[in-house]
Amino acid sequence: MLGKLDWSAIPFDQPIPLIAGAVVLVAILAVLIWVVVKGHLPYLWNEWITSVDHKRIGVMYILLASVMLLRGGSDAIMMRIQQAIAYQSQGYLPPEHYNQIFSAHGTIMIFFVAMPFVIGLMNLVVPLQLGVRDVAFPTLNSVGFWLTATGALLVNLSLVIGEFARTGWLAFPPLSELSYSPGVGVDYYAWSLQISGVGTLVAGINLVTTVLKLRTRGMNYLRMPMFCWTTLASNLLIVAAFPILTATLAMLLLDRYLGFHFFTNEAGGNVMMFMNLIWAWGHPEVYILVLPAFGIFSEVVSTFSGKALFGYRSMVLATMAICVISFMVWLHHFFTMGAGPDVNAIFGIASMIIAVPTGVKIYNWLFTMYGGRIRFATPMLWAVGFMVTFIIGGLTGVLVAVPPADFMLHNSMFLVAHFHNVIIGGVLFGAFAGFEYWFPKAFGFRLDERWGKLAFWFTFTGFYVTFVPLYVAGMLGMTRRMQHYDVAEWRPWMIVAAVGMAMLSIGVICQIMQLVVSIRNREALRDRTGDPWDGRSLEWATSSPPPVFNFAFDPDVRGEDVYWNMKVRARQQSLEHEEPEYHDIEMPRNSPTGFVCAFFATIMGFALIWHIWWMVILGGIGAFATFVVFAWRDHDEYVIPAAEVAAIDRVNLEERRSLVSMAGAV
Amino acid sequence: MSDQAHIGHDLAPGDEEQHDVGTRILGYVVGLVLALLLTATSFFIAGTDLVWQPSIPVALIVLAIAQMGVHLVFFLHITTGPDNTNNVLALAFGLLVVFLVVGGTVWIMAHLNANMPPMDQIMPKPM
Repeated sequence: MLGKLDWSAIPFDQPIPLIAGAVVLVAILAVLIWVVVKGHLPYLWNEWITSVDHKRIGVMYILLASVMLLRGGSDAIMMRIQQAIAYQSQGYLPPEHYNQIFSAHGTIMIFFVAMPFVIGLMNLVVPLQLGVRDVAFPTLNSVGFWLTATGALLVNLSLVIGEFARTGWLAFPPLSELSYSPGVGVDYYAWSLQISGVGTLVAGINLVTTVLKLRTRGMNYLRMPMFCWTTLASNLLIVAAFPILTATLAMLLLDRYLGFHFFTNEAGGNVMMFMNLIWAWGHPEVYILVLPAFGIFSEVVSTFSGKALFGYRSMVLATMAICVISFMVWLHHFFTMGAGPDVNAIFGIASMIIAVPTGVKIYNWLFTMYGGRIRFATPMLWAVGFMVTFIIGGLTGVLVAVPPADFMLHNSMFLVAHFHNVIIGGVLFGAFAGFEYWFPKAFGFRLDERWGKLAFWFTFTGFYVTFVPLYVAGMLGMTRRMQHYDVAEWRPWMIVAAVGMAMLSIGVICQIMQLVVSIRNREALRDRTGDPWDGRSLEWATSSPPPVFNFAFDPDVRGEDVYWNMKVRARQQSLEHEEPEYHDIEMPRNSPTGFVCAFFATIMGFALIWHIWWMVILGGIGAFATFVVFAWRDHDEYVIPAAEVAAIDRVNLEERRSLVSMAGAV
Repeated sequence: MSDQAHIGHDLAPGDEEQHDVGTRILGYVVGLVLALLLTATSFFIAGTDLVWQPSIPVALIVLAIAQMGVHLVFFLHITTGPDNTNNVLALAFGLLVVFLVVGGTVWIMAHLNANMPPMDQIMPKPM
């Protein structure tokens, strides 16, 4: 009846996950009860859960990413503490638990923090920057988000029902095969990634179509803001690479469920094929994450230097070059697996070549700052911190791209330090910069600068105190994923890293404090102009938060840095605005399709993990029926009458005019 | 979103509103005939001894590529016209990625054991 599921699945003998699970459960219940009692449920359902508005979906993506960042961060804290105390002792985490923690940490941080954070920012900003009213497929967008949330939910369920994979974040066979991992851990891993992978693919298709097909009048490719370009490149990579991940995990699941032999040791399977395929996805994935971050930094650096982006066209070229070359380097993740010198040399050289367009970008940002009037607001601090940190991470990357050096450093703590250096210094700093930069756009008030700067300095220094010791430990020969060790020389470095982790945690607390303080002071921090940073691109040309239709008129684009030029023109000509003629606007209706679909997908995923076959069928039929109901809908749009559009837009225009005339007077 | 201004006018595959029904049906019929012809030729060549035997695999590959071309042109409406830039670019990007991943995989997997000593030196042969 319930497949493999019984009471033994709940780890009563392990207090840590059980207490953590109980705390989270109580917190969720408390929030639910509060929502129901206060009568917020209809608002939540109508305005957020069923919303197909790209801005709302973007905010929900970022919220999901932030919550999961806390979960992944807790795993990181536990690992640092374990390695700080596990010298010649077992520490406080038994090996099977420790292995689950580092697997969950990697899986969560990549798939459920970095991915939803950047996809959320792209969702929120790209339609606004392109001057359009929504993404190409609004309901599909909602489906994509809720499927990602399903994946995150399944990973967290593994904390209290059953176990998570003990195989590392990429579940290499033969360890992940049934003979070595008979439990449900790898199944949790694989099914949550399969389901959220569908969500990511859908988001990728949606954003590619949006950039290619929905641009406002005059917005040709070479007038798009840089963030739109990096979004295009990143989502092209999603569309090209995620099917490889899905196929690879599908083969692993066939091995596990139906006795196939793709990656087994016996019966003609080849373990190395898994490494090859997973990294053919895995390397483009790195650029899927970091390209949008590059776009964010381009916007931030240009805005806060008060200058147009230096070398815009070379930046476009560099972005697209990275997009293609990222598919030519994947072997550098397994130089040591036995390929000959020819293969290793070619992929080593390709890996060094990809540093060139990245270097071009760094110089472009530096030259954008050169001669500019730089304002060190919080987003700019993250951008400068990124440049310093990412260069160091990039250099150690070029170092391990040399095959002989890689033979020494493969799977050492040096590698761990390297990829945290680029992912934290690149992707996470970028996500934080984008968060600080676009928060006023999404909610209509700024974030508190004092707490923001504190958060930056704690995170920035905390990062170095944590990860420089890991470089050193790697040089001293420490390998990754060690539950305990007996080498005295490593110990001090592990203690320093734990101190750094404490500083990083203070950084995170500062960021939470920043949110709390800002929400309390929101009236003082209110931004009525829609343009708090003196921005350059179209998202600042509408109110904050933007109305549901984004723009009352299709903006007319006549060059790069559209909004900046509009402001300049308005000041020079002191335009007398006559009342424009407003029209009715059609917008897509909200739809529960995404939420219902993900509900059934969760049931199906859970049932697949526990081999509850009748429930699998139930979930599958439910998800398909949701799709059929949606496909046969009659009305999918509603009309906002011109009078309502006019009423909303007049307020915004008034504020904006006073801003322009004030700035003109100065 | 009907009032959305679009840039350019490229069409999604399958959208061909500028032709009347007769022309479109003719296009599909020509495509069908060509596809059938290429399929029949492939089956015929595979079993024939009218041509030089080692050339048969090459001929089959050529016929298969021609078949793909017929499908793309007549059924998926990929053309070189200015209304089709995105579709052609998407196809080119897809082909490039498939070529890189499949070609790279074959190459990598073929050189997998280059650093391994021969098996008979590691494992003594069973008596």
